[in-house]
Amino acid sequence: MTVHAHRAEIRLAGSGGQGLITGMHILFRALAIEGRRAAQSQSYEPTSRGGFCYSDLVVSDESGDYPLATGLDMVAALSQVGLERSLPLIRPGALLIVDERLVPEPPASGFDLHVLPIAARAVEVGSPRIANVVALGALAHLGRLVSEEMLEEAVRLETPPKFADLNLAAVRQGWGLVGARVGVRCLSASCPPMCIG
Amino acid sequence: MTTPSLASLHGNRACALGAIAAGCRFFAGYPITPSSEIAEQMSREMPRANGVFVQMEDEISSLAAVIGASLGGAKAMTATSGPGFSLMQENLGYAAMTETPCVIVNVMRGGPSTGMPTRPSQADIMQARWGTHGDHPVIVVAPASVQEIYDETIRAFNLAEEFRTPVILLYDEVIAHLLESVVLPQRHTVATITRKWATGDETAFLPYAETEDGVPVMARPGGGHRIHVTGLTHTQDGFPTQKPDLAARATQRLLDKIEFNRDRIERVETFDTEDAEIVIVAIGIVARAARRAAQDLRAAGIRAGLFRPITLWPFPEAALREATAKARRVLVPEMNAGQLALEVERILEPDKVARLNRIDGEPIGPGDIVRRIRETAA
Amino acid sequence: MNDLMQPSFDVKDYLRLQMMPHFMCPGCGHGIALRSLLWAVHELGIDKNRLAVVCGIGCSGRVGAYVDANTFHTTHGRPLAFATGLKLARPDLTVVVITGDGDCLAIGGNHLIHACRRNLDLTCLMLNNEVYGMTGGQVSPTTAVDRLTTTTPHGNAEPTFDACRLADAAGASFVGREVTRQAPALKNVIKAGLAHEGFSFIEVMSDCTEIYGRKNDLGESPEMILSQKSDMRPEAFGNVADEPFRPNRLRAGVLVQRDRPEYGRIYRQRAAAEQAKAKAKP
Repeated sequence: MTVHAHRAEIRLAGSGGQGLITGMHILFRALAIEGRRAAQSQSYEPTSRGGFCYSDLVVSDESGDYPLATGLDMVAALSQVGLERSLPLIRPGALLIVDERLVPEPPASGFDLHVLPIAARAVEVGSPRIANVVALGALAHLGRLVSEEMLEEAVRLETPPKFADLNLAAVRQGWGLVGARVGVRCLSASCPPMCIG
Repeated sequence: MTTPSLASLHGNRACALGAIAAGCRFFAGYPITPSSEIAEQMSREMPRANGVFVQMEDEISSLAAVIGASLGGAKAMTATSGPGFSLMQENLGYAAMTETPCVIVNVMRGGPSTGMPTRPSQADIMQARWGTHGDHPVIVVAPASVQEIYDETIRAFNLAEEFRTPVILLYDEVIAHLLESVVLPQRHTVATITRKWATGDETAFLPYAETEDGVPVMARPGGGHRIHVTGLTHTQDGFPTQKPDLAARATQRLLDKIEFNRDRIERVETFDTEDAEIVIVAIGIVARAARRAAQDLRAAGIRAGLFRPITLWPFPEAALREATAKARRVLVPEMNAGQLALEVERILEPDKVARLNRIDGEPIGPGDIVRRIRETAA
Repeated sequence: MNDLMQPSFDVKDYLRLQMMPHFMCPGCGHGIALRSLLWAVHELGIDKNRLAVVCGIGCSGRVGAYVDANTFHTTHGRPLAFATGLKLARPDLTVVVITGDGDCLAIGGNHLIHACRRNLDLTCLMLNNEVYGMTGGQVSPTTAVDRLTTTTPHGNAEPTFDACRLADAAGASFVGREVTRQAPALKNVIKAGLAHEGFSFIEVMSDCTEIYGRKNDLGESPEMILSQKSDMRPEAFGNVADEPFRPNRLRAGVLVQRDRPEYGRIYRQRAAAEQAKAKAKP
């Protein structure tokens, strides 16, 4: 597999109904605000609720680049099946975030693994249904994808006004779940995929 | 404000918005995966745009209603997928024969028959060209990104109106459901073409006159030119004929109308083909994989390039010859058992052409193409 | 029959005379149906420029070409679907559909029931000659039981469709039926259908002397036309199913007229409301 310096492949993996697509729409929007190109795709099956589901984002400076995942650089998994079905596509050493309860058996090695209480924090914030946004906050922070301000702006733009406060609280919780790694990943052609920008 | 705006759109949504920007004011359709979002979007947009959306009882009636609306003067479109596209074939021929401008979107899914409704495919390449019976002209455009779906939908309408012919917009499920950033021009800056309407003398009017550019002007109902429209082979006056010389002339003009205007219809994209020893010929999502693969191969010292027919039919033959002039190998990767390859093999020396096919419902990725090229080179 | 001589109506004013002679067989009832339609158009003062005649395929499909109006000879079974698009795009046109029993009830049956349900302002004349004439006389959905056709050499074993009952059940807001034997009455039913806002279905009992009549020994055109009222199969609205045969039992005229909202009008009202809402938004 060729590694592309200017390209990052990100996945939210889990089960249908977890809001994985909405999660990626938020990230897509946050990147777009910063003028970066991305393509978002998702599993497309007759039945989504409960079964394996994913939502991918391929960030690339190049217009017309291949928009689907070829080797995932960052994954947040919210179910065991979501993780397992994604494993063949995850690059060695990739950033891997899993929920401590929903993914009881994370891989023992090979990844930059972070086991986090995502679902628990979602419940604390107000609803188990916003685990997607908590996961997104953690993913964006650990992956150094966008600034917190841009992410919050994107949450405001992509979620219904009625739930804006809840989602903002969720994304902040997720962001705060992980220790700060300063800076936003640059994603430029001269910069290796996992550099700290 | 004249600056274009940046929007994030799904492919199917971009199609609907492109249609409206092109002046589409009539949409008839029938639900089918993976194209239904186009109809859904149109049902919301059309009333606001002072147009009409109608969900018909099947795909046959959908295209019939579209043709009826177009003959009435509206720019009209329908959208479907494989099984529905099959049902539309008869009226597609009627639109070609009666020279009725319209746009038919086919979001390709796995087949044959009901096949794999949610899986992508490119297996309608030949059906789009030859699906309806009889010798008929056709224009098919094949976008490869959400931006291009928007732009090519507009171009599809312009081609339909300029050449009075059905235009098929053919793309796969992957880009149909992709979310990408799209530059939306300000509405008034979109260049649109509208069919030429008949004016002047009504008694001597020939609705299918042999004009210089091969495209007769249309008679708008209510305008006084009371014409007859028929799918029967007809003469310049629009009435049926079975006289051999007149019949041959009528059919030949239909075909020539497209053939003689290739320069206005064809559109291709080439990427690094100038010095390419290997040229990949692909459309849609596979073309994007091919572009990635070509870059990867270049990085590994293999001079690869991409030839992408955006106008798929009529196939840009001359452009393909030019782009592959220096190539010792041409690879045609496609998500079917081999359709685009048939055309490429027809145009080039068949020995030069290699194939790569996937019929498992999975998109062809850059890795597949790189592997195949390394195989054929070995 | 003196009404036919009404001086103000000259059928030639509504025909494409350059298309004559027409190609219908001697004795075919379709000409009477066409004349009755044009007579109704004349009496209602409908402008030829704003009249659209949409036909399907078959003998009935060829009728439209003779009308000096905007005429569309479409694909088999689909004239109602074409007309739906035309009328929705151009509500200013009067759109008449001419179809046949095979075109309308067999290949186009689905479009018929949905046109009835949708209630768009179209007037549909189904010329029922009980047979596929154009293709040589095959059995149709209205061919009577036991009749001989080129595809029922041992007699038709299939029951018939009663088109008016079907249209009624599918919700048509206007259902009418008339025989070609009585042109003024037929004209009046068509007139009522054209004037009705909504989908009007009119079954015209025509005859196919040349193929169907001959094959079944039904006599020449006069005999066939005279027997329309007594021998015709449709039983809907007659309430005579259990009664013994009697002449003139066929119920004709306007059979159903319902006050239902017309689809195009509703669509445009809703669209206008949407536009007003969009305008009101800052």
